[in-house]
Amino acid sequence: MFRIIKKSLKIGVVTGQYRKAEKPAVSVAPEVKEKARLFKQSLAIRAVDTGSCNACEMEMNALLNPVYDAERFGIHIAASPRHADALVVTGPVTVNMERALKDVYKQTPDPKLVIALGDCAINCGMFKGSYAVTGPVDRHIPVDLRITGCPPRPADILQALADFRQESSVDS
Amino acid sequence: MTEARHCDDILKAAFPAVRQNDPVCAKSSHFLVPKDLLPAITHYIHTQPSLRGRLTLLWACDHRPVRDTYGLYYLFTLEASHHWVVLSTELAGTDRLFPSITPHIHAAQWYEREIRDMFGLIPQGHPDLRRLVRHEHWPKGTHPLRKDFSWDCVLGRQQGEHRFRHIEGEGVFEVPVGPIHAGIIESGHFRFSVAGEPIMQLELRHFWKHRGVEKLFEEQTLIGAVPLAERVSGDTAVGHSLAYCQAVEALLHLEVPRRAKYLRSLFLELERLYNHLADIGAICHDTAYALAHAHCDRMKERIMQLNDRLTGSRFLRGVMRVGGVTRDIENAQLTEIVEELNRIQPDFSEVGAIIFANASLTDRLETTGILHEQTAWDHAVMGVVGRASGMNGDLRRDRPFAAYDELPVNVALYRYGDVRARLRVRGDEIQESIRLIRELRGRIPEGPIANEPSCSPNPGDWTLAAVEGWRGEILYMVMAGEGGRIHRCKVRDPSFVNWPAIQWAVLGNIIADFPLINKSFNLSYAGNDL
Ligand code: SF4
Repeated sequence: MFRIIKKSLKIGVVTGQYRKAEKPAVSVAPEVKEKARLFKQSLAIRAVDTGSCNACEMEMNALLNPVYDAERFGIHIAASPRHADALVVTGPVTVNMERALKDVYKQTPDPKLVIALGDCAINCGMFKGSYAVTGPVDRHIPVDLRITGCPPRPADILQALADFRQESSVDS
Repeated sequence: MTEARHCDDILKAAFPAVRQNDPVCAKSSHFLVPKDLLPAITHYIHTQPSLRGRLTLLWACDHRPVRDTYGLYYLFTLEASHHWVVLSTELAGTDRLFPSITPHIHAAQWYEREIRDMFGLIPQGHPDLRRLVRHEHWPKGTHPLRKDFSWDCVLGRQQGEHRFRHIEGEGVFEVPVGPIHAGIIESGHFRFSVAGEPIMQLELRHFWKHRGVEKLFEEQTLIGAVPLAERVSGDTAVGHSLAYCQAVEALLHLEVPRRAKYLRSLFLELERLYNHLADIGAICHDTAYALAHAHCDRMKERIMQLNDRLTGSRFLRGVMRVGGVTRDIENAQLTEIVEELNRIQPDFSEVGAIIFANASLTDRLETTGILHEQTAWDHAVMGVVGRASGMNGDLRRDRPFAAYDELPVNVALYRYGDVRARLRVRGDEIQESIRLIRELRGRIPEGPIANEPSCSPNPGDWTLAAVEGWRGEILYMVMAGEGGRIHRCKVRDPSFVNWPAIQWAVLGNIIADFPLINKSFNLSYAGNDL
């Protein structure tokens, strides 16, 4: 145990050692800002994968590593939709996942945010039109924030999540 | 060569009714087999001590409009020589039945169910004919890979419930998990039957993420489908795109420049490195060893940032193309890579030593989730999981591709088949990858990085390509269509084969250890569901 603590001390703080995102232009509707204001200190996310290629998931996972450390912005992953403030949806909505997505949306308490992460969730990306894909996320549930990229870099995700909640507080 | 003739002779002597065809790729033989003979001949190849064939791939193909037949293809890898044997048969006219080989060869189980769903061909004698890819709400008669099924049609919905296998008795209850999980995990459903803590049965229900990848390939050109291959399983972008490119290059008779081959190996090893580091961290995470997890993730992040600097993509996307690679890595960059790895190696070795010296971690990992060698063989398990259970196979050594004919690989092999063995394989492979990259830098030749394709293949030509990705063997079968298009592309991620094996590895373990066992397999849902 002492060896690993010693090692951690030797390595020091690595948080923030990444190339900063160019500020993504997120245009958010006023009523969404109103909603996001509630979560400016803390945001519990439920990750829903509706058919991604799993690179978007990996980048979301990367948010929790010591380099990006999303928890310093109050962002954490909830283990149940009932504990979540926001759903982060990745991937085009497949025929098989459509029901599950609608269910999880229903189970998340209001007020809630829906964030479409990655091009697939926004416009189905390469899978557009396939028989097994029913459409992008906003065909099934209302989407509040869209984070583009295939996959978006963790720095971009972090920036978008921060801006989104920041702007609302500035407005107030 | 003699090996090949040897196995051909054995087969022809035992089954005079088979006809030998031209081989489809190097180190392989191809036989046309009458359909009724399939169970006997596959059983023979699988069990004959001098052959010991492992079922590597099983796929079907709708030959319309050229011929009004369905083709069925069985690929076996012979254990000693790593020679490939392809058996093929055709179902003509309205014939929709073929004999199932699952009763003799477990590994065929999912393949045959998949063929039934995708083509509507019925494997007669298959012990489990429930739907696999098509969930029960798909309308009857939907078989997406048939040529008369349009790729962009809208599916209807019907009523239907999946029938799980139940264990009944006092104190037995079921725990359903998924498809959406309590973490950042892909979608899949697990159904446990437990009596108290130990798991009596686990049943998987996957294919939630089925996006119709194989059908989408058929809408692409041979040259243009590389980005789609990169998105089959995002964490294996290099492995999949490389296997795809190799298949197309074989169809186009396109030679890849040597420098490009070295760069391909470099990218593949970088991909292996970041994924293995992430996995070791994740295994520690699932035993609540948060500090080790943080260290591994930190190192993984450094490799991904290195990837980003080198190629503009953290997942090394966009580096492969048919005929070579899209971007050169300058010598200065190669030095940068090696210097970064020189920093990471002692760092990782130190963390590795700390991890393995930790008694409470060892206690969690040892004898947890054992996959026995026999079970692994029966299910044709390979890759990292296989090598932890004594399956001595690695395509980089056995059927060298890219630059591996000039870069010999030391294969990590363990026999215990528990979580610790899988962790060990990954640790050894990280060290080996770093060594390979160092060696590669010393040997990489100067020269062009891509050749342009000059001819187009005949419609109906097909070939196979295999790549040892970080999870294991990635296989692509590509059949050319009219005008440089794809007629059929069969994609096989190692996850498709290794998933069923997890159902055996968890037996008798407590349910709280399942996440740990699952992580130690770390299979792709996207690559499995396609
Ligand atoms: S947006 Fe790109 S990275 Fe994300 S799931 Fe889709 S294909 Fe994968």
